[in-house]
Amino acid sequence: MLEWLIPAASTSADEIDWLFAVIFYTVGVWFVVAQGIFFGLIFKFRRRPGVRSLYVAGETKDEKRWISWPHYAVIACDVVLIAGAIAVWRDVKQVIPPPDETIRVIAQQWAWTFVHPGPDRQLDTPDDVVTVNELHVRNGTTYEFELTSQDVVHSFSIPVFRLKQDAVPGRMIKGWFRPTKTGTFDIACAEMCGLGHALMPAALHIESAEEHAAWLGEHTAVAAAAAGSRS
Amino acid sequence: MPPSRSSTLAIAALVISVATSGRTSLAAAQDLARGAAEYQLCAACHGDRGAGDESHGAPAIAGLPAWYLTAQLQKFRAGQRGYARGDDTGLQMRPMATSLHTDADVADVAAYVATLPPATPAATLPGDAVHGQALFAPCSACHGPDGGGNEALKAPRLAGQADWYLLAQLAKFRSGARGAHKDDVTGAQMRAMASTLVDEQAMRDVVAYVRTLAPTGGTK
Repeated sequence: MLEWLIPAASTSADEIDWLFAVIFYTVGVWFVVAQGIFFGLIFKFRRRPGVRSLYVAGETKDEKRWISWPHYAVIACDVVLIAGAIAVWRDVKQVIPPPDETIRVIAQQWAWTFVHPGPDRQLDTPDDVVTVNELHVRNGTTYEFELTSQDVVHSFSIPVFRLKQDAVPGRMIKGWFRPTKTGTFDIACAEMCGLGHALMPAALHIESAEEHAAWLGEHTAVAAAAAGSRS
Repeated sequence: MPPSRSSTLAIAALVISVATSGRTSLAAAQDLARGAAEYQLCAACHGDRGAGDESHGAPAIAGLPAWYLTAQLQKFRAGQRGYARGDDTGLQMRPMATSLHTDADVADVAAYVATLPPATPAATLPGDAVHGQALFAPCSACHGPDGGGNEALKAPRLAGQADWYLLAQLAKFRSGARGAHKDDVTGAQMRAMASTLVDEQAMRDVVAYVRTLAPTGGTK
């Protein structure tokens, strides 16, 4: 349902959207039913000439039902929603599946630096590709990210992944995602981080295996040449 | 006597020229006012008079010529400056420059900063100015013997700039954190020149010499 507003481009996004839809429809159905009953009762017991108003204390059993039954229903729905929320939280945040690749994300005022493993799929090797404000990932690959900040608190936000994770100076925080759709999407900072907070967008490029290999090939050559000229 | 055709034309031309010049100066004043308003964001780091602030890594920009300010802001906007991992102050400046949405915004803020009186930042680094004077010879070919800059060569004024900033920029040119973007032509020139300073001490010495030069305002 959220996809009407913004694409969903990862497995986590699909799970979160499912949970969102379950909550929306559950609450929505009860909202409509409750409002219907409410306005129905108002209409049924509207003021009429010659009819005295009745004081209802809610003490009899058939009166209490109007309160107790919805309460039971709310508890039953809560159990379903909380169970669903825990399951999604576990999948999205708590258990990182075995990654195919690891990337490093470094936040600073006011830019994102991304360290991509090169064709060898290993970080800290000469073919790593470092970019600023540009993240390139392969569709259908499970990525673990290592998120750090070198100055203040930032938040690594990728709306199409429904991903938002604070980056805290002095800590390395891990997370994961598995892209499911190719395209170019937004990365933003979602934590007020100073004067340029609103001005640190980055681009997420989700590419097919071939496109990603071509991009890596192009940039690994540059990275290797730069490493060679420095040494 | 009715006015002759030629005198009518002359009066019309005079009226038009007066009206046009009035409009021009009014437009210029409005542009400066817009530039001053745009500058409020810059003031957070560069100071309200553009004197710079080392604690923010912000250089003195007051009185730098508008052509240079415009060129650098455009480089930041285009990603030709502030592109490198490790260039923290450049990465801070780049989004600030992108907040200037149009070329007119850039021109207005540059025009305003150019009107500010040049600052005289305090010395913060030791260096051998005598040795630095010898090293400055190649620099003077573009930046001028007095470090006053040369628009024709796209070389900015160096005199009056903070020593820590000059040192940091020389280091960035040498490392490729500045001037290595493929579209940055003047940066590439400066990279080559910076590489002639063989080590940190040479850079400090040449900066120490530049510190002895008096700023001459934003006319060049």
